[in-house]
Amino acid sequence: MTDWQWFIIDILQAFAAGLLVGGTYGLMCVGLGIIFGVMRVVNFAHGDFMMLGMYAAYYLVTGFGVLAFLGPYVAPIVGALLAGPIVFAIGWVLHRFLIANVTGARVVSAEAEGHYAQIILTLGIALVLANGGLILFGSLPISVQTPLSRESWAIGEVLLNKARTVSFFIAVAVAILLYMFLTRTSLGKALRAAADNPIAAAYVGVDVDRAHRLAFGLGVGITAIAGGLIASSQSFQPYIGFDFVIVMYAGVVLGGMGSILGAFWGGLTIGLVQQMSTLVLPYQLQNTAIFVVFLLIIFFRPQGMFGRVWERT
Amino acid sequence: MLSIQSLDVAYGGLRALSGVSLEVARGQFVAVVGANGAGKTTLFKTISGTVAPVSGAITYNGRDLLAVPPAERAQLGIAHVPEGRQVFASMTVMENLEMGAYTRAGRERWAQSLPMILELFPILAERRDQLAGTLSGGEQQMLAIGRGLASAPALLMLDEPSMGLAPAVVDLIFERIHQVHRDQGLTILLVEQRAAEALESCDHGYVLETGRVVLQGPHDTLMSDPRVRRAYLGM
Repeated sequence: MTDWQWFIIDILQAFAAGLLVGGTYGLMCVGLGIIFGVMRVVNFAHGDFMMLGMYAAYYLVTGFGVLAFLGPYVAPIVGALLAGPIVFAIGWVLHRFLIANVTGARVVSAEAEGHYAQIILTLGIALVLANGGLILFGSLPISVQTPLSRESWAIGEVLLNKARTVSFFIAVAVAILLYMFLTRTSLGKALRAAADNPIAAAYVGVDVDRAHRLAFGLGVGITAIAGGLIASSQSFQPYIGFDFVIVMYAGVVLGGMGSILGAFWGGLTIGLVQQMSTLVLPYQLQNTAIFVVFLLIIFFRPQGMFGRVWERT
Repeated sequence: MLSIQSLDVAYGGLRALSGVSLEVARGQFVAVVGANGAGKTTLFKTISGTVAPVSGAITYNGRDLLAVPPAERAQLGIAHVPEGRQVFASMTVMENLEMGAYTRAGRERWAQSLPMILELFPILAERRDQLAGTLSGGEQQMLAIGRGLASAPALLMLDEPSMGLAPAVVDLIFERIHQVHRDQGLTILLVEQRAAEALESCDHGYVLETGRVVLQGPHDTLMSDPRVRRAYLGM
């Protein structure tokens, strides 16, 4: 084959890798999108909830091996999905006892809608989770073992890592299910209404505190599933949350605040940019490429790709 | 139906309502008028439960309303159309109406109430898939009232539906409110700054000044009272 053909294959390969990684990034961003984009709560600990999801999947599949009976192919997938409800419960409790004090109806009239208090509180939670993780889980980088991560499907000359491909499809399926839940079901609409206008939601009979708690748990739970999926193709340690939280915020803003669909596309775009950039830039500059694209979009389309300007004055 | 006895409400020591008593009988149209800061919105917030009173009692159909958690009060048939409309801006017109029908009664009556609302405000049918935040002020007010009606309420509380709207739109909205009251016999509690429109067709009216009821009476008495005519009706 000629150099030219190899170059095309390189591009396709990077594109495929970006798409596959981007799918899980997309799901991750959807989780943050519910909390930051829709509820307008600044959650600095979001990456650390994802880290908890990774460890939950790890202990279920490899550590304690509770799911070992499912076999090496199915167990990592079930483990990732189960990380969702586990982290949902943790998020629910933390919201109930800590985060609810700085969010919701009682802070709508506070300065900056209570964002200062949210930043400080969630930053504190982030530090406690990351360092608590260090005590409990140790600092050794680990990953969820599955034979899938060492195997690939070949489409022509382009190789698709099996673990990442499966993760991609599960991430897309979970994102679609979540989207259907939020737009089609009565409870989903109530969650959106409570996030949109807590006071009006209370007047139509929504228990706003409960709705916020559910939405927060759902947001961190969804991101934990994404974390669990990534855990089988990337090694991690308790501090990994910090690497991802910035990328997640970029994805949510890129897609457009308040748009769940947009958050998914934002995450997908970040995956693509990250992988495609390796064609022209050194590996270490991946995140730089993300922020160059981020700045360009903010510059030319400040409401994000899918953001809609709905506030009338 | 709704009975309020000597209600006192304060915001951190600042008296907003003192000794307010008010009665709404089933099928009545009751109007509360008063200037800015008279305590009209506070009165509504206390009924809906977003503000807790210092003392006093509210009974609704013989039940102590203050013992009912705020989110449960909508289930009792109380629909509060808040000041400044407060539509769900990021949701469509239809979704806003569906949220109105979040109560049990609203869900059961949805098949009848939706056509009724869309007939009352045809513009909402035209804009059904549009985001509520992109509607004009008048359309948002219609949507807010429609959302209130969607709960199939026993008592519809309207907080200044005329706020910030053009006179022609205000006339239309008041006409529709009267229509609902007349045709369906719905009990309505309205607070308004625009006293003339509010008092014109009410059965019973209250005048609120700096947190106190200074005057009250049936429609005819109020409309012929020289103080009301001078201070609120500009006559």
